[in-house]
Amino acid sequence: MGNYYDIDDILSEEEHVLVVFQKAATGVGLLDPSSETNKVEQGAKVELPFWLAQELHARHAVAMSIPPCFHQMTRKEVQADAASVDLQSRCAYFYELGCKIAPLVADRTIGSFLLYTFSHRYKAVHSKAHTAAFATTTKPLCLLTKEETRLYEAAQSSMTAFRKWRMGGSRFSTVFLPGRKRKSVD
Amino acid sequence: MEQAEMYGRRGCQLVKELASAEPGQLTRFNDDLFNQVIKECNVHYSQFYELTRKMQEEGLDVQFTRNADHFGMLIHHLSLLRNKRCLMAYMYKRADILRSLSWKVGRVLPPEIEGKLSDIEKHYFKNHASALQCYMREMDCLDLTVDMVPPKDPYIKVRVLEDIGVTAIGDKDTNLACHSIHFLKCTEAEPYIMQGMMEELVG
Repeated sequence: MGNYYDIDDILSEEEHVLVVFQKAATGVGLLDPSSETNKVEQGAKVELPFWLAQELHARHAVAMSIPPCFHQMTRKEVQADAASVDLQSRCAYFYELGCKIAPLVADRTIGSFLLYTFSHRYKAVHSKAHTAAFATTTKPLCLLTKEETRLYEAAQSSMTAFRKWRMGGSRFSTVFLPGRKRKSVD
Repeated sequence: MEQAEMYGRRGCQLVKELASAEPGQLTRFNDDLFNQVIKECNVHYSQFYELTRKMQEEGLDVQFTRNADHFGMLIHHLSLLRNKRCLMAYMYKRADILRSLSWKVGRVLPPEIEGKLSDIEKHYFKNHASALQCYMREMDCLDLTVDMVPPKDPYIKVRVLEDIGVTAIGDKDTNLACHSIHFLKCTEAEPYIMQGMMEELVG
């Protein structure tokens, strides 16, 4: 598994999904806040982190339902204006989770929805990143998922590198050590 | 230990700490949280073991029976693996940063960074730096840690940003006082520039 140590992979699997337990499980009552005994009963509806839900789903112990960020309401908002939908607050790992969940649930439209969303938002992300006057502008960033934010930052840093190359200047980049004053390289 | 925090949530907090740090920067090694996650692993394991014993007492085949106890065991086992993954990723990413630091700062860590490491990490850094030194010595003391940026000119003009004092540069002593300007070889100036103690003067 090439991404065992990958932080984004670990964090994307922490996103919660709603499952219905098909089989009971003893000794894990803490998973279900409504359970009075130290046991989760068959038929209980519990929110589990995706890494757990995925494994239990593979062993037919739970049935996973589609998270709300892929429901009709979000889809309608995306169709209306993809770039202005606040995906970060719905699911910071929207695309990663969508890709993982698509083969597991009985909804074959998730894939095309993800593609549609990404392609319509990408243009906005790209153009904002290349034209932003300052190094960080928080307004567009707070709507973006983690993946989109990385793309935005990559575009910004390549623009900075290009400007630096045009203007000339020191080619050394200081290692920013905490406690020492940061020297801007621009 | 707060029970509600189990099933990988604390492990995830550790990883979130890594994610929220600035890229290439280390935060203080979170001993507290790290040990809590290990304790959690022990709790998961003991609960797993209890369920195994229960099944054995009932005369059931632990390996092939699929009852409620089995699924309970499975969840504890998966939580253990999840915690392990979080702990490993935490150590791995920090070790990665330490390795790249040894290329930038040499053998001695600045005290502000050293204060953030655990004992094991200090040991690791020391060993890695020595291994690097050993390797370079084998090639007739070729210093691999300089010229990380391909030089355009063997000499550059620098301004000293911190009071470094009289230091041996090349074969003579130079007074690297704050704000003084010097014309040095790239290879001599580079370590100071990397640490932010000097800046290159262009134009």
